[in-house]
Order: sequence, then C-alpha cells, then structure tokens
Amino acid sequence: MSHEPFETLAAIYAVGALDGDELTQFEAHLPTCPACEAAVRDAEETLARAVLTAPPQAPPAAAREALMRRVTERRDVRSRAWLRWAAATLVAAGAAAVFAGTWVAVRYEARLGQMAREMAAAKEALREELSLDRRAVELLRDPTTRVVDLRGRDGAAAANGRMIWNAAGGGHLLATGLPPAPPGKTYALWAIARGTPRPVGLFAVDANGRGGHRVAADTARDAVQGFVVTLEPEGGAPAPTGPIVLTSTR
Amino acid sequence: MRLPCHRGASLIVDGMPTPGTELIRAMAAGDHEAFTRFYDRYAPLVFPLVLRVVGERADAADVLQDVFWEAWRTAAAYDSARGTPEAWIVTRARTRAIDRVRAVRRRSETFVPALDAASAPAAPGGDVAERAGDRALVAEALARLPAPQREVIELAYYAGLTQSEIAERLEQPLGTVKTRIRLALARLRELVTLP
Ligand SMILES: [Zn+2]
Repeated sequence: MSHEPFETLAAIYAVGALDGDELTQFEAHLPTCPACEAAVRDAEETLARAVLTAPPQAPPAAAREALMRRVTERRDVRSRAWLRWAAATLVAAGAAAVFAGTWVAVRYEARLGQMAREMAAAKEALREELSLDRRAVELLRDPTTRVVDLRGRDGAAAANGRMIWNAAGGGHLLATGLPPAPPGKTYALWAIARGTPRPVGLFAVDANGRGGHRVAADTARDAVQGFVVTLEPEGGAPAPTGPIVLTSTR
Repeated sequence: MRLPCHRGASLIVDGMPTPGTELIRAMAAGDHEAFTRFYDRYAPLVFPLVLRVVGERADAADVLQDVFWEAWRTAAAYDSARGTPEAWIVTRARTRAIDRVRAVRRRSETFVPALDAASAPAAPGGDVAERAGDRALVAEALARLPAPQREVIELAYYAGLTQSEIAERLEQPLGTVKTRIRLALARLRELVTLP
C-alpha cells in the first residue's frame, strides 16, 4: 500500500468508515507500522474527547443495579481469573528474562483491550478467511488470552503467524504467506516449554498460503514459552528435524 | 479555542480524584469498589453517545451495561501507554452501540437510517431553539464543525455508515468523503486539544 495517505486512512478507520480492500489492507498494515498505529490512537483520543464535550446524562438507575449485581455474582469466578492472569504474567515475565525479549506477546497482551474494539471486524474476517470457530473469538474475550506473533524464517521470510493462546483454553494458530509444503512434507507446530519443543499438531496451507491449527489445552504440562513452526516429513516427528519457518522467538 | 470539559466537572465530584488508570488497575485486581467508581464516573459521560447512536433509552441502557461489563472483564488488558481511559471506554461504547444498530438493521433489511436533524446541512441563521432537545445529545465539539464535515462524522461515527455508503448517500465522490473525514478529524483535534 502506498504510505502517503496514511493519515487519511487512519482517520477513516478511527471513525469506523473504512471498507472494502482498503480496510483489509489497512488492517494488515496496521500491526506492522507504528506511525499508522499512533495516528489511529491519536484519532481515537480526539474522537473520545470530542464525544465527551456533550453534556453528561445519567443512565437509568436500573442499569447500574443490574450491572453491580452481575459483577457481585461473578465475584469468585472473576478473582480466580485474575489469579490465573497474574500467574500467566509472571510466567511470561520469567520467560522474557530467560529468552531476552522474546515475548512479542507482552506487547500484544497490552493490545487486547484495544483489540476488543477490532473484534467485530476481526470476527467476521477471521471466520471467513480462516474458518475459525467461535472458540477463537471466545479466547480473545478472555483477559488471560495472549496473542503471540510469529515471524517468518529461513525459506519463508514473507510468512507471518499469530498464535491466540490461553493456557487454560488452548489456542489457535493463524499463519499467512507460507509456501505450499513440498510433496511428502507438512508443516508442524511446536509449543516450547522448559526450552523444549513439544509437537502440538500438523497443518497444511491453502493456495493463498494461509493455514490454521487449533491447539487443545493441556494444563498438566509446563507453561508454554513460545511457538515455532517447522517443515517436517508427512506424519510428523517427535522432535523438530526440518527448517524453522515461523518462530515467536527472534 | 477551548471547549468546556464536562469530564473535568465530574472528576471533581470524587474529591481527590483517583486517576481513571488507577481505577482500571484496581478493577483488574477484582476491586468492586473501583468498578463502582469507574461506572459512576464514566457511565454518565458515555451514555449520551450510546443513546445518540441507538436512539432508544432502554436499548441504550442495555448497551451501556454490556460496555461496562466488558470493561470489568478486560480491565487487565488495559495499557495506559496505549490510550487514555476515556478513549478506552468511549471507543468500546461506540463500537457496541453501532453493533446493536447494525444488528437491528440486518433484521429489517429495508431499514435506512434517516438523516436526522443534526446531520442535515444547517439552515442559515439560528436553528437552536427548535432542536433544543436534540442538541442536548450533540457533542459541542461536533456542533462547531463546518456542516459538510459534521455530516460525514455523524454518518460514520454515529450512524455506522462506511465511506462508500456515505458517498452514495450524499451523492458525492468517495474522494470528497475521505477528505471531509480527514479535515473533520483535524478540526476536532484542534477543538479538543488544550493549548
Ligand atoms: Zn503505516
């Protein structure tokens, strides 16, 4: 995409009016471009401040009561979720210390709130393009879910991946830009725990270089520190043998 | 130029106000009290927006509940480096409100949102008195935009139309709509940025 009109696109995106190919392209471009991301944020701040110049108006008291009741009822559940989140964060912090700065996820975790906003659009796009089931969307709503970026390596420099990962709920890998696996070969996804890869599934890519894979939760295992994708013989292997094509570590 | 900031007024009600970021952090830790204060501070600020988008007071109250429930649930993911609490809650409220309107629109396919008084080109001279009720819902910053810019913001941000739909609706080239949106944002930015 030509980068010249990015301020205009950011403004149109922020008011929710971008559509068609421009929307698709801009959303693909956004995570890769700090300038555009900043422009969108700036536009959102502007809109928020503009909106808040309207005189305040009290919502019906019943809404407040219903909401507070809902929150109180869910108290125990909510506290446990918080503990899980705290634990996951500590694990992530530990992993980052060991694998110096390897957790792209930390950055994306921070984006989850903002991602809720992109959910409506993402929901449909993901469903159509990657046939993701509702589960992925549910995962994204969960505050304990992290989104880990995978970068292309070796023979697949143009490849990109994203892992939506929840320690308790499992995850979804979304990969793009991968060349079709050569005959007799397949892509294999590995979860890294304690520095050791464990196989979590095989997948193929379509004609557009897109692939996806659902990973079941396995809470009995050690906390996952990252993910890699390698090219393996059909049928897979107990440990990676082929070249790494995608990795969440640098 | 400076606009009166209602947000400021509501912050003072709290006495020594806890920053919104602190409230969200406490919410992430499961603090009910913080959530109550967060709601009391921000709900009256975003309710006019939601009401303006969905139209019906009962629907708006529903959407508002969803918005704050979601804020409670995702508080841990909030990052103050990536936006103010105001933008966090307003963006969410606008999105949920538009979702509701679109869902209604899908159910009745022939429904086309009416160009309301505020988004119609302003009549020369005073139109304030006859639309006093409506005006109460219009953000003052928007009211200060030139009519063509206000119109595109109304149609996009409040009515949920895309740029192509707006172009078709206004019978204007897409490029014109794009330019108006960009200009509107730039102007709004000036209006709301404190010197
Ligand atoms: Zn850019």
